[in-house]
Amino acid sequence: MDYVIVPHWFIGYNSILEMMFFVITSLVGAYALRIYKLSGQRQSKLFGISFLLISAAYLIQSILNFAASYSMAEGCSMRSMTAVHSLSNFGIYVHMILFITGLVTLAYMTLKIKNIKAYALFLAAILAVLLLSSNKLYFFYALSSILLIYISFYYLRNYLKNKKMSALIVFAAFLSLLFGKIHFIFSIDHGAFYVAGHLLELVAYVLIMINLINVVRK
Amino acid sequence: MSKKRDRLQIIYDILSVIKEKNGKIKPTNVLYRSNLSNQMFIEYMNELLQKGFIVENKTKKGKTYSLMQKGFDYVNKYQMIIDFSSSFGLSE
Repeated sequence: MDYVIVPHWFIGYNSILEMMFFVITSLVGAYALRIYKLSGQRQSKLFGISFLLISAAYLIQSILNFAASYSMAEGCSMRSMTAVHSLSNFGIYVHMILFITGLVTLAYMTLKIKNIKAYALFLAAILAVLLLSSNKLYFFYALSSILLIYISFYYLRNYLKNKKMSALIVFAAFLSLLFGKIHFIFSIDHGAFYVAGHLLELVAYVLIMINLINVVRK
Repeated sequence: MSKKRDRLQIIYDILSVIKEKNGKIKPTNVLYRSNLSNQMFIEYMNELLQKGFIVENKTKKGKTYSLMQKGFDYVNKYQMIIDFSSSFGLSE
């Protein structure tokens, strides 16, 4: 598997940012499920599940990055470094599967169809491409970007339909998330893109959080 | 749109009309503004009265309706659902 290049000064900050993303996506997911409980609206359930899957992906990523930075800072033995490395590889797989499943669920929600077979086929095809590819990390970012292009278009149409500031904020958030993922593709070769990817993700999740606060405060 | 949502929307529309002119709205005005048949209107209003969403006030000029706390809570929660759904593109 290929690895991204993380600038030395950014080690530790990445873990903190990912923990923030975990908290925000968990809150949005839990809130969407609360809306589902009140309204019985299927779209809210799918939206909630997708955000909870993405939040689980960030939690794993954050823990892994923390473990890696801790083992480097403490100067662990070769044996424990190897254990962290093996755990890290397993964790990256879990992170990728959870994140892609979250995005597929979100894309399926936007289709507004009720067909579990179509969802299963859609998910299986994407996971097969990801897991059978030789360069998994590259394919993960590429597939995420493709799904986010589709989701961003959906939110652009949603904004053009509603013409509300809140819909514009959500569109901007998904666009920022898309640019973040595109930056991660290049982070396989350059560390600066890894930092830029995280900062763009931060912008995306702060925008989503602002929108959630606006809805709850009314 | 699902059947359940239609029903929730109708209840929201009735309660919103009453909320707008709280304590001063007559049944005919609610009927006119909620856009329901007479039969449906009576069924919904009886249910809302029974469940404590609204209260009937009898005056010399006739009956008026006002919202109870449960009614205010419903309107606020429904508005929150609409805001969340429209901003995150969840409307069916």
